Amino acid sequence: MEFFSLHSWPERPVTALLRSLGLTALILFFILPSVLLADNSDADLDTANRAYTAGRYEESAKAFQQLIATRGYSASLCFNLGNAETKAGHVGLAILNYERARYLAPADPDIDHNLQLARKQAGLDPNSYRWWEIALRIIYPFVGYIVMVCLLLLTLALIGNAYTPTLASACKISPSILRTGFRGIFFVGIPLFFLLGFMELSAIGFTNRIEGIVIANKEAALRISPFESAETVGSIPEGELVTVEQRHNDYFRIEGRNHHYGWIQQKDMEPIIAASFDAKSPN
Amino acid sequence: MRFSFSLQSFTGHALRLGFFLLWATVPCLEAATLTQQISPAEVNVGDTVTVTLQVQNSGIGNFRFPQVDGLEVVGNRVETRATFNNGSFSSTNVQVFYLQPSRAGDFTIPGFDLHTSDNQVLHVQPMKLHVLAGGANANPAPSVAATPPPVVSSQGPVIMPPNNQPTPDNSGNSADTNSKNIDVPLDSDGHPAKVFMIITPKTTDTYVGEAIPLRIEFYIRLDVIAPQNSLPTIKGSDFLMNNLSVRPYQDEVTMNGGNDEYHRETWVTAISAPKSGDFPLQMERDTYWTKSSPDSGNDIFGNLFFHRTPLVHGSVSSNQLVFHTHSLPQEGRPTNFSGAIGQFKVTGNATPATVGVGEPVGLHFAVSGEGNFDYVKSPSLATDPNWKTYIPKSKIEYQEETRTHGVKTFDQDVIPQKNGNLPLPAASFSYFDPTTKQYVTMPIPLPAVNVTGSVPVASAAAAPSGDSNSTVATPALLQSSELVPNRLGFGSLHQSLAPVYRKPWFWILQAVLILSLFAGFLFLFVRSRFAPDPTQPERTLREHSLHQQEDAMSEAVRRNDAQTFFLAARNAVQLQLGAQWHMRPEAITLAEVQDRNPELAKTLEPLFTQASEVIYSGQASSDLNLAEWELHVRKNLLQPQPA
Repeated sequence: MEFFSLHSWPERPVTALLRSLGLTALILFFILPSVLLADNSDADLDTANRAYTAGRYEESAKAFQQLIATRGYSASLCFNLGNAETKAGHVGLAILNYERARYLAPADPDIDHNLQLARKQAGLDPNSYRWWEIALRIIYPFVGYIVMVCLLLLTLALIGNAYTPTLASACKISPSILRTGFRGIFFVGIPLFFLLGFMELSAIGFTNRIEGIVIANKEAALRISPFESAETVGSIPEGELVTVEQRHNDYFRIEGRNHHYGWIQQKDMEPIIAASFDAKSPN
Repeated sequence: MRFSFSLQSFTGHALRLGFFLLWATVPCLEAATLTQQISPAEVNVGDTVTVTLQVQNSGIGNFRFPQVDGLEVVGNRVETRATFNNGSFSSTNVQVFYLQPSRAGDFTIPGFDLHTSDNQVLHVQPMKLHVLAGGANANPAPSVAATPPPVVSSQGPVIMPPNNQPTPDNSGNSADTNSKNIDVPLDSDGHPAKVFMIITPKTTDTYVGEAIPLRIEFYIRLDVIAPQNSLPTIKGSDFLMNNLSVRPYQDEVTMNGGNDEYHRETWVTAISAPKSGDFPLQMERDTYWTKSSPDSGNDIFGNLFFHRTPLVHGSVSSNQLVFHTHSLPQEGRPTNFSGAIGQFKVTGNATPATVGVGEPVGLHFAVSGEGNFDYVKSPSLATDPNWKTYIPKSKIEYQEETRTHGVKTFDQDVIPQKNGNLPLPAASFSYFDPTTKQYVTMPIPLPAVNVTGSVPVASAAAAPSGDSNSTVATPALLQSSELVPNRLGFGSLHQSLAPVYRKPWFWILQAVLILSLFAGFLFLFVRSRFAPDPTQPERTLREHSLHQQEDAMSEAVRRNDAQTFFLAARNAVQLQLGAQWHMRPEAITLAEVQDRNPELAKTLEPLFTQASEVIYSGQASSDLNLAEWELHVRKNLLQPQPA
């Protein structure tokens, strides 16, 4: 006996619309990545790489900078730009771009290798990440999302618990099973929320420092106050990683190696995370 | 005050005192030794020369300093020092003579015999002095007689008068090199000052940034000595000073012909002036000293054990000196001058002598001498396309406490860019000599280096093809000093490097989720607290009915109407039990009660039986006491029953 037949029931317009939308989403889901990946290698990138191969490092560096400006940052582009700057003799800019590449791909051994070579060339000590630093930097971007998922689940469980009988009858599930499920989410979710929240805050604290690379030729003057006429108390070598503490007009108060403090001009430094300095309000 | 002494303890004290006297006397029994010094051995006409005669383990008897034509004795000073050093006691007597040459030439101070206080004879060797004619810029001679008397405050701190007397000999390393004439200032009561401080720079004529050795001497009379908890500091901000050692050199000195004994603390340091001009230098120290009382010496035991000496606190200022600080001349300033002022020597070497192209050659420079080592930078290397230079690393070792004598070393790597017998880049070091008032540039000879091998070919990116993220890196390459070649693909692109937590939506979303969670909790709480109770009307109705039946019972008792009473009583009990057992009141029968609570059934049975009897017969027994029944019903049957 046939209870249901496609032909026996005329298709309603809403159902047809939903079916069309579903098919479109399915196609986009599978096709779009291919379309995006197809753009992964193109003429501009080839041009930049060919200039590098031909030894025209300045031209290659400019081409990679243009690519980053138009397409965005990627570990590969920053890595290639770092290579070009190294070969062009701009060790500070090279270290800056390797640091950016390492920020995007903390566990990439090639990036770390070239970065350490550039640092060695600049006369700086190695600064490879330790395993826990790599782990923290990999986990860190996802912790916030996990916290949000955790919060969403807790909220849903709370609402569901309040309307268990209605939900149970709608889903045809035993109310006791539903209630046990919701309580389980609470018992697991609340401690997890606090744990992940703590991890999130720790990770933010760990990476919240605004770090910059000295890009001044050879070395940058470190002054005791943020004025050009101020006395120089030392210098920071090109390529050195410093932490910005304060800003006053075009000067940043930075902490260098060995807790060496002083003011450095903005033009002598670039932030690893581009535009970070803009977020620092003038003092 | 009464004290009791036992013979044993008295003997012990006496023995200890005897040993102490013996120990203190032993140095006096040793042979006297003489140390003599003339400083400097070469001066200009008008400069001051110091002749120091130092006799150890004995006093100095009366004697006349030999007269030399052209040398005038302008002052002298006698000083006695008693020092405890490493557990041993020693006494030193010092006689200092200040001489001033009136003409140029070579002088010889003849030898003479010196008689000590214990009749020993010591021979002073002849001393030679070379006097130059250029005495126009000579420092003024210290004149003891010309020194104005110090200003003494009423409470003790002494302010020394201006005294620009640079000591010609003061390396600042040893307390024994003290060569100035100390005139002990007086307090307002005419007694020698309790406490005072004297600063002695090497010179007061200086250049901006030049490190000037400075000797700081703090004197406190032994009868007012107290522990100090501060260090001398500079008044004002015209000078910079190296950190002082926390533990100064300490000794005890006798002044004013042995009448006054002082405890002396001595620091040596260096100062520098950051700007040109004439600036006064004066130091001060927060000082404690004991308040001496006239009867303090009478009660020895009381002072030792029971008396707490009151302390007086005040700021003690040193003598004031005016420094003439000159700017460094612009003319003739070398391009590689880094601010080093003093007298320096520089050496340099390079290792190894043979390297491959791209391999580092280590340059080692050592700058030694006297001056402001903070400003001594690495010797500069001339630009040479054949060599790639790296930033040098420096290390310094000071040879004395003023930090003006030392050796600063620099290690710098240079890498040859081509092969062959390459001369190293020309190196030189420049400084300013304050003595000659000229800049000095010293070339540093460096050997040539034999560079072998060939220039490595730059690593190239692989031809773009195939795998988008591939490189031509090999494990061997990763270990090498070559760069890992370029990536051939874009990789994962990001429009911004800003981490997600710097984006507002990240925090807004989390805040919304947290707020919704709290809102959910709040909603459930409010709902559970204020939701309407569906059983409330029924409960109210039952309570109302119960009250009605109880009123009917009371009315029936009043009218002695047994039929009405038992009917109301049974209804009331049914309402009560029905509410407790969530049953309709009519369904509460004796059988039902029997099933649920047999004990209660026994209590209820008379009521139900009587009620049935009265209701169905319409008559009641005349001996029924309705008031007792009412009491029984209210007390035993209308109270909440166990479930």
